[in-house]
Amino acid sequence: MADRYPGYDVLNKRNSMSWNDQTRAVIDRRMAIDPGKHEFFTAEEWPTLCAICARIVPQPAGRAVPAPVAAMVDEKLSANNGDGYRDARLPPMRDAWRRALAAIDEEAKSRYGRRFHELGGLLQDDLLTAIQNGDVLGKAWRDLPAKLFFQKRLLHDIVSSYYAHPTAWSEIGFGGPASPRGYVRMNFDRRDPWEAAETKPGDEEKARRENARVG
Amino acid sequence: MNRSDTALDLVSGLALAGAAAAMLVRPRHVTAIARSPLIPMTSRLASGASRGLLRRLAPPPRPRGARKLARLISGYGASRTVVQTAGRRLNGSAGLLAFSVLADSAVEHYRGSFQNRAMYTPLVAATLTLGASVFGMADKRAARHPVRDTVYGAAAATGLAGLGFHAYNILKRPSHLSWLNLFYAAPIGAPMALALAGLLGRGAEKVRDTPYRRRASIFGLSAGRMLAGVSAAGLAGTVGEAGLLHFRGAFHNPFMVAPVTLPPLAAVLLSAAAAFPGRAINHLARWWLRLTAVLGFAGVGFHAYGVSRAMGGWRNWSQNVVDGPPLPAPPSFTGLALAGLAALALIEEERNG
Repeated sequence: MADRYPGYDVLNKRNSMSWNDQTRAVIDRRMAIDPGKHEFFTAEEWPTLCAICARIVPQPAGRAVPAPVAAMVDEKLSANNGDGYRDARLPPMRDAWRRALAAIDEEAKSRYGRRFHELGGLLQDDLLTAIQNGDVLGKAWRDLPAKLFFQKRLLHDIVSSYYAHPTAWSEIGFGGPASPRGYVRMNFDRRDPWEAAETKPGDEEKARRENARVG
Repeated sequence: MNRSDTALDLVSGLALAGAAAAMLVRPRHVTAIARSPLIPMTSRLASGASRGLLRRLAPPPRPRGARKLARLISGYGASRTVVQTAGRRLNGSAGLLAFSVLADSAVEHYRGSFQNRAMYTPLVAATLTLGASVFGMADKRAARHPVRDTVYGAAAATGLAGLGFHAYNILKRPSHLSWLNLFYAAPIGAPMALALAGLLGRGAEKVRDTPYRRRASIFGLSAGRMLAGVSAAGLAGTVGEAGLLHFRGAFHNPFMVAPVTLPPLAAVLLSAAAAFPGRAINHLARWWLRLTAVLGFAGVGFHAYGVSRAMGGWRNWSQNVVDGPPLPAPPSFTGLALAGLAALALIEEERNG
């Protein structure tokens, strides 16, 4: 997909008025996450989670700093920072992930004879689609509703981790926290000088010039 | 008004207040003094002495023709100065208004990203008006100047056209004529400041062009009264604008009430002085207009404080100057008050001369 915000890097705002010390501290911590670090997930579970993340939020190959999505999910789980709400039909966050990852691997083995991360991308997608639709056969699921887990846990945790990362912000033209600097031009299709400039087809250079000034 | 007049006013005011207080507190003493034989005696003495002094100090008689000429020269000299000064003061107030419009429209139209090419127009018109006004203030010649006249006319026309553009901006938005759009769309009152700068400038040129020994007039009417009317109406309009936007700001600072309380009174007093000129009312109007002029400058200080109070303060100026209270807006009160003062001077000149 073509870059809609060419030349935009939200991290250029780091030392501008847009961010304060609190924001800098939080984002620095997030940027320093080691992509291979996992404390909650076992060595057995880890490749499965990484493979799932790569299918749900695939990232272009040439990224300087790819969002370490799996490590971010792991961080959330190892700190056991819940969302403050939970669909009562699902077990608590940590239990749900543990049981689901085991069930997904078992499902892969029973269908294709291999573990999930060993499958090709198309088969992985097939399996994830089956889980999304609740078409699972494995006994490991027991009373864990696969469809609900996919909707409320897997998608939620992976996607919200991805979009919490500055690399994803730069991709979608998001400016990070709106404090201390907020927005002035509120109308449709208007931008403040400290917001990302979206390109129109054939006008990439203009957006690139404007994005070089964003700070 | 010269200094001795002011001092006299102050002294007589104090004396009157003292007399009134004495009447209230010690009425018997006051009656006793009034009945005393000293009173008529002193007044008789004083009038006799002054008559004697006058006789002694009176200039030696001159031939009748020369005396007439002297009176003519002195009379016309004085009136000429007042009218000329008033004209230049009006140029100055038009210039101050134009400066306010230039700075304000530059900031606000930058905020609006110059979405419409026409948004550059007030910048050009206000710059030209400012230039013409500075030229007018520096120009020692009495007469009007065609370039200034043209620029002022164009500024007035631009202001009126701007009113149309701003009304269109308000009405085209969803919910059309609503409080929300009056608060957040193009400000309906702002272009009127440019129109007023143009009108006052035209007035200035007209006043400067007053022939020798004639009263300044516009369309055959008294220029002083007419310009007082324009200034009063302008003040009222600016009060409306400040009222609307300070209401939007929920009058969160008590000083936000000042521009909706002091200038309206100035407008009323100025109108009263134009309609029924008199020593007391002119005096009161003058002081109230001076207060309003000071308020205009103080407003910049208050607005600067407002910017500092917004998130990030002055360090975040690129957001807060644009989104906070407009720094260049309050001096339009000063510009209009100064125009009112110049108009008042013309009214006084008519009354005395």
